[in-house]
Amino acid sequence: MSLDQVREKILGIADQVLKYAKDLNIPSTEVFVYNLSSTNLTDNKGKVDSRDGLSLGIGIRAAIGKKIGFASTTGFDKASIKSTLNLAHSIAKTSPENPMFNGFVAETKTSKEGILDPEIPNLDAKDMIEHCKVMGQGFDGSDTRLVSVTYAVNISWGGYALGTSEGCLASSLITTYDANSFVVVTEGGDRKTAGDFVQGREIKSVEGLTTNAMKHGLESLGSKAFGGSEILPTVWKSREAAPFLMFPFVTVLSGSGYVEKQNPWKDKLGEKVCVDEFTLIDDGQNPEYGACRSIDTEGTSKQTTTAIEKGILKTFLFDKMHGEAAELQTTGNAQRGFGFGGGIPFENLPTVGPNQILIKNVGKNLDEQIAEIDKGILITGTPIGLFTANPITGDFSITTNDAFLIEKGEIVNPLKSISIAGNNYETLKNILTIGSDREPSSYPLDAPSMTFKGHTISD
Amino acid sequence: MSQSDFILDLLHKSVDQGEKLGLDFIEARYDDLQLTTIALINDIVKQSSAFQRKGIGVMAYFNGTPGYSYTPELNLEGVKNATKRAIDLAKSTDERNVMKLDFDSIPAVKDKIIVDVKKHPKDVEFVEKLDMLKRGVSSIKEVLEPTSTTGLYGEMFGEKFLVNSEGTEIYWAPVMVDIRMGSVFMSEGKQSRSFTGTGASKGLEFFEEKETTPEQTGANAGKYCKEQIDAIAAPVGKQTTLVSPLMGGVVVHESFGHLSEADFVVTGQSPIADRVGEELGSEHVTLIDEGVSKYGGLYLPYDDQGVKTGRTVLVEKGILKGYLHNRGTAQKMNAELTGNSRAINFMFNPLVRMKNTYFEKGDLSFEEALEQIGNGVYAVDMSGGQVGLDGNFMFNCNRGYLIENGQITKPLRNHALSGNILELLKHVQGATKDITIRTGYFGGCGKGGQGGLAVGFGGPNVIMDQVLIGGA
Repeated sequence: MSLDQVREKILGIADQVLKYAKDLNIPSTEVFVYNLSSTNLTDNKGKVDSRDGLSLGIGIRAAIGKKIGFASTTGFDKASIKSTLNLAHSIAKTSPENPMFNGFVAETKTSKEGILDPEIPNLDAKDMIEHCKVMGQGFDGSDTRLVSVTYAVNISWGGYALGTSEGCLASSLITTYDANSFVVVTEGGDRKTAGDFVQGREIKSVEGLTTNAMKHGLESLGSKAFGGSEILPTVWKSREAAPFLMFPFVTVLSGSGYVEKQNPWKDKLGEKVCVDEFTLIDDGQNPEYGACRSIDTEGTSKQTTTAIEKGILKTFLFDKMHGEAAELQTTGNAQRGFGFGGGIPFENLPTVGPNQILIKNVGKNLDEQIAEIDKGILITGTPIGLFTANPITGDFSITTNDAFLIEKGEIVNPLKSISIAGNNYETLKNILTIGSDREPSSYPLDAPSMTFKGHTISD
Repeated sequence: MSQSDFILDLLHKSVDQGEKLGLDFIEARYDDLQLTTIALINDIVKQSSAFQRKGIGVMAYFNGTPGYSYTPELNLEGVKNATKRAIDLAKSTDERNVMKLDFDSIPAVKDKIIVDVKKHPKDVEFVEKLDMLKRGVSSIKEVLEPTSTTGLYGEMFGEKFLVNSEGTEIYWAPVMVDIRMGSVFMSEGKQSRSFTGTGASKGLEFFEEKETTPEQTGANAGKYCKEQIDAIAAPVGKQTTLVSPLMGGVVVHESFGHLSEADFVVTGQSPIADRVGEELGSEHVTLIDEGVSKYGGLYLPYDDQGVKTGRTVLVEKGILKGYLHNRGTAQKMNAELTGNSRAINFMFNPLVRMKNTYFEKGDLSFEEALEQIGNGVYAVDMSGGQVGLDGNFMFNCNRGYLIENGQITKPLRNHALSGNILELLKHVQGATKDITIRTGYFGGCGKGGQGGLAVGFGGPNVIMDQVLIGGA
């Protein structure tokens, strides 16, 4: 089925569900129709696993005034759709009123949909195996320090449609491609892992991924103990700064957290929250990013929002319900299934989530930042524990064995496992340098390399 | 034809299709699961949702190479297409697949299992479930004046069928319920937060048990939040730590259990590969994984390859005894079947996953354990954690207490527990003689893109020396 046929199909189903809802005398209905094909292939030291399939489903919100019910079903068969409508309606009848709810999106208004690669639906497992071969070209698999190498290629294509009884009917399609290579290396009892990846909405070149992963892994061998506990500046490579900053920003920019009084920045609107050079936007309209959609998952057109400008908090991110509850408006940030581990979109209610958060580049590249450090730590791999920070107080403690000691502006040696402790919200005020070298990450936040004033390092 | 007969017929047709095309092995699974979530946030019902998740997944093996496909389209055409795609994937990737994980036939199983549930969630009205959450929130407010409250209710029940080319035909009807309560307090520069509760492979009678009534869970959430307001910073550095059943169970699951999954072992990614018989821990370390446990937790009679789940001893008195297997890894490593091939739903192929993983009990009373520690930390509950394939772990302890002179004295602010599990197991100094195993609808285990798989974890209270405590 072509992408155009997918669009026609899901819009037709959304329209049909709304007609069923009208026949069932449901006062107000929103239907989310989801159709995504995917194929995944991994080669893990010669052990090949593959999976494909079509995820189909419908999520329905039925409303009676301010009383809402939600039900979902896999598949598109008529009987299941009708029983799901009835179930959502019956839940609405028995639910108490939600005073924040003011109805579903009432008009069709779309924005840029983003790049669609028509070649992605044509890829099959044999093509993906060829991509794995390209990933491994030029890589020395005979190195005795190599324990294992993994190749993975994942593709998906499809989209969703959103319809409401108030008059919204729109769709948004996507194609995705990602490929990654991951190595485990060991030497003299030292064991390290490293990887490299590409991802996007189009088929990407995968050349050199395994070589890069191996190079990084080998550089990390020969690590030495840090020895003690010390407060030191930390320098984060671009891809590592992204996950480090994602958790705090998802928390403090949350409009639902603001309304529900669970956002630690709930009283900071218009106040200085970061250093003057810091500007952050939430970008739902860059056509190369997966977050670029013509509508969000409740039917609002996507947009780009400047949330922090020159260190000042300008706004939170909202879906329709929380935006209106805050006496503001939606920023096109309704997402379904957002969060750790994700979820099946049609089984989830819309909730507030970021599109693609971008921290603007400022001044120095990574080498220049390292050169300015008398003694500090360079973080080169994603630490573990990033998502366990206390969202209210901001306290965090994480560990990594992908770090290097910096002394007198030079990288001295890789380190054995260290812990890094601090406070997320203090960290944002203690930025020493914002880099000039932002790279795409695999998270919904991209950041340039960054240097922070002081974290507690110990082992 | 009944719906059950119709589904069985579809599954058999899928298996027949694979056999006619000369596959080594083919299995077809059907899930029809009903899930319900209710979220009461600040006394507003923010979510009241019911999900129906049903479809068929097909796993085909050609020359020892697997291929998996699935469909939510419950008709002959949909199932035929999914079967064809699974077969095509297996055949088209076979040349690249040099690590064959084929397996010999085992005797067919015919079984039908229905869990004995006294108060099945399908028979209880929505308003009664909502009322449980309201009662729990009221109990929070009896303890403190929170800035915000959260009450979550979850239930899952339904049917699963499995048919394979060896003649196996298994039906079972899983059920699970769960309640969580949380509280946030922010005032005059002070901030605290709590989140607690649990689930069970039982009906709603679980919430009539003394320790798990909504009132008790709410009272606990209020108490833990209040304690945190004036909690002190944890002592940082390496500490002797009493790790609760929940915390210890999670540490074992995340940091050791995953390393013992044989798919990581056969590829050499696990640091405990090829080390059976080695002493990895102290004499106090015995680690178990089992599908149906007398201590409670998750009820899992069969895995998703139709293998009856058993009791697997991973480590016995510090010695590594074995790994967790699917049929392919078991045969490759000449090991017994352990029944650990699991998929979160029909949209995913089974992977090697844990069931109920726990520390075996010791011989200490709780008081004796505290006395043995003298001064240290009691780590009780956690709010997430992460591990690496090298055995490094980091868990955030959101409820912990200072131990001074063999007594629990003061609540501690959030702190992190970290280390390397292979080092830590050498420093286990004893365990109490009581065991608790937890499971739940919320949370769960993530691997290979399959997040939220229900598992069980637990054990006794375990004394661990040299645990790195990090605070901030």
